[in-house]
Amino acid sequence: MASFKSHCRCACVLLAGLVLSSLWLPLADAQQQPSGFAVERFYQSAPGGGWFVMDDLNISGRLGGAVALTSGYARNPLVITGPDGKQKLAVVSEEAFVDVGGAVTYNRFRGYINLPTPLLVSGTSGTLGTYQFTAPQVSLGTNPDSVSDTRLGIDARLLGKPDGLLRLGAGAQVIFPSGSRADYVTDARYRAMFRFLAAGDAGAFRYAGQLGVHVRPLNDAPAPGSPNGSELLFGIGGGRRFAGPSGWAVIAGPEIFGERAFRSTLSGEAGTEALFTGHLEQTRTEGNLRIKLGVGHALVQDFGAAQWRVVFGVEFFGHK
Amino acid sequence: MRFCSLLPAQVRSMNNCGQYATVSQGNGRSCPGRRAGHAHRARVFHAAQSIVLVLTGFLFASLLASAQNGSPGPRPSDEDSFMQLLARKGLHTIENESWNVYGQFTYISSWKPAFYAPYTNLNGSINSLLPTAERSSTGTATLYFGLRLWHGAEGYLVPELISEHPLSQLRGLGGAIQNFELQKGGTDTPQIYHSRIFVKQTIGLGGKRIVEDSGPLQLGTHYDSRRLVFAVGNFSILDFLDANAFDVDPRQGFMSLGFLTYAAYDFASDARGYSYGGVGELFWDDWAVRAGRITPPKEPNQLPVDFRLFKYYGDQVEVEHKDKIRGQEGTVRVLAYRNHENMGRFSDAIAAFEADPGKNATTCTGFNYGSQNAGAPDLCWVRKPNEKVGIGAFAEQQIGHDIGVFGRAMYADGKTEVYAYTSTDRSATLGVMAHGSSWSRPKDVAGLGGNLGWISTIHAKYLGMGGVDGFVGDGAITAAAEESLDVFYSANFRRIYWLTGDYQRIANPAFNAARGPVNIFTVRIHGEF
Repeated sequence: MASFKSHCRCACVLLAGLVLSSLWLPLADAQQQPSGFAVERFYQSAPGGGWFVMDDLNISGRLGGAVALTSGYARNPLVITGPDGKQKLAVVSEEAFVDVGGAVTYNRFRGYINLPTPLLVSGTSGTLGTYQFTAPQVSLGTNPDSVSDTRLGIDARLLGKPDGLLRLGAGAQVIFPSGSRADYVTDARYRAMFRFLAAGDAGAFRYAGQLGVHVRPLNDAPAPGSPNGSELLFGIGGGRRFAGPSGWAVIAGPEIFGERAFRSTLSGEAGTEALFTGHLEQTRTEGNLRIKLGVGHALVQDFGAAQWRVVFGVEFFGHK
Repeated sequence: MRFCSLLPAQVRSMNNCGQYATVSQGNGRSCPGRRAGHAHRARVFHAAQSIVLVLTGFLFASLLASAQNGSPGPRPSDEDSFMQLLARKGLHTIENESWNVYGQFTYISSWKPAFYAPYTNLNGSINSLLPTAERSSTGTATLYFGLRLWHGAEGYLVPELISEHPLSQLRGLGGAIQNFELQKGGTDTPQIYHSRIFVKQTIGLGGKRIVEDSGPLQLGTHYDSRRLVFAVGNFSILDFLDANAFDVDPRQGFMSLGFLTYAAYDFASDARGYSYGGVGELFWDDWAVRAGRITPPKEPNQLPVDFRLFKYYGDQVEVEHKDKIRGQEGTVRVLAYRNHENMGRFSDAIAAFEADPGKNATTCTGFNYGSQNAGAPDLCWVRKPNEKVGIGAFAEQQIGHDIGVFGRAMYADGKTEVYAYTSTDRSATLGVMAHGSSWSRPKDVAGLGGNLGWISTIHAKYLGMGGVDGFVGDGAITAAAEESLDVFYSANFRRIYWLTGDYQRIANPAFNAARGPVNIFTVRIHGEF
């Protein structure tokens, strides 16, 4: 009998423990805090690449190169929807950057580097379901010399001639992590991108497209709005060239680009943006200049596509 | 404009004839009058050797120390590099460049054996060098991009990756921090940052044409010996003022922070040693005058920068003259600075504490270093717009074939806290450096130097009461000059790599005679491309 009572006591203690545990677990869930990640999904083309995101694959000549300065501002690049489907939280409501890049070209090959510096990353902290989001607070004065996620890459024009109707190429890039995840400027993990590129000139018209893979080890699922691992990259762009005097020309047209995580292929998480771009360029001499301006809006704002963005770029490029 | 560009045409010619800065280049250029002066020069060389031996003995005996800065050195034309490779293949005009790219990587590992210390972090103070054995390391990789923007204009961008692990969290030493890379404020996790982005505009005013060799932060070009130069952007003030002694790259030379520049030169900069602002230079043959205004950090020794250049700033001016003594080139500079920053005066901190002991190091409401000494004053209570001034002089002199001596000394007022560099208020440095052409290793570099650093009386009183200032403050002090000796040998191999052994002995660390001496042994691997 004593043994039975003892077993009952043990069972009660065990049961109480289980109840407490079950109570504690939701409490623990309530304290989940996503760590942040590289929120910027404007994966720009290589310096001298012509377009903002696509690549014109006009790589030729002997030794040449390009330097580029690109700056952009994105509004609401990370708005997360709560589990009720209604509550929204702009964890990152403003994001601005400046990127300095350089490229060396030889024959049909290009090697390049990009050094992005965050100028502004800010948003609103809050709770969505069981997740407590802490908004970043980055401004130029807090850490002006920081470089986030340096990019090294190579591109090659594999088929087709410069200025031809069809050019096919491929590119690969490695992204070196730098910065703090809490600032939403890095995954703090190495990343890579592999892209198939296509471009061509048909009279006054230009076009370019890409299809690729973003090898992204970070998978913060099920935290809403967070990366879910590697992604499919896609994009297409086109425009018309309006020739001017002294070798100057304007090329105007849209670029549409986006990405989708392979793991959420069926869940519809695909951020897509459209960017209307205008390029003013002079390409008659060895030293060429291109000034670019783009204004865009999210077509599908999921998955970190900015609600709208403005980008500006200047490129010096040429070859012997 | 720094490095060789500082030299007037005739000095450059002397360099190519075998003087200190470029004798190891072996570029085979002919030099008029070379044979005629050879015998004389040989006698001078032997005399110089004797002088150096005497000087060396003096240096060892007196534990003095010396000079160079954080800018990269020039690249001799016989050194393999990416740009030289392109030039040899006919793909690049290295004498008149429109662009260039250089790079370097450096790994430095230091070991500090245990040393004597009757107390450490006394009464909750936090800035003692730990007396236990420790290891420290830094790793850096740097790319130097240069681009000609328009006539006379050059743009430079320098991204750098750094990983570092300091001794005792970089606490407990004044100007004698054993590895100058540690000033860059990194962590064990590698971080990438841009150390420099600036534009330089040169306006020729005539005079002789000077050849400027291609190198990091320098496009290969020609300048007038009389010219105006303006630079605006993000840079180290040491890129322009107080240039390297003998153009030796600091990553090949002395390692101690006290040799980077005057230890008492608390130049305005962020925690990594870089600033935003502008510098103007006037070169007039053998003379140069430079002045610049640059940004301080928002809080002392921190990364965030205060861009209000008309409210808080560091101003500096330098006058330089190059001349020859018995045919040997030499340089003299005088540098003065004045910082206007939101900083605390030691006397104010002491007065505030004595008036109200509740205003101690543990009750700070503003920026502070985290001292737990409740019986100590703290600068956090008295920060307000204050000024710090200092004046110093530098001299370097070739004393023979491939060998030279240098020294620098500075006196700062010592009334206010350290804001960006070291806590030293007065510093003196003396050193000798030589290339190894005498023993058939012309790219090797050897050096011996000593560095002395003092603090002001009020500074010592503040530290003695348990206060902390930047990286020093043991909780008590037996005030004395911080003395460090640095001796190194950098052996070159395969033209672009250097392996260095370095020994430093530091007496009275953090200006405290009660602790130490400290011995530090260091190995460095450095490569350039």
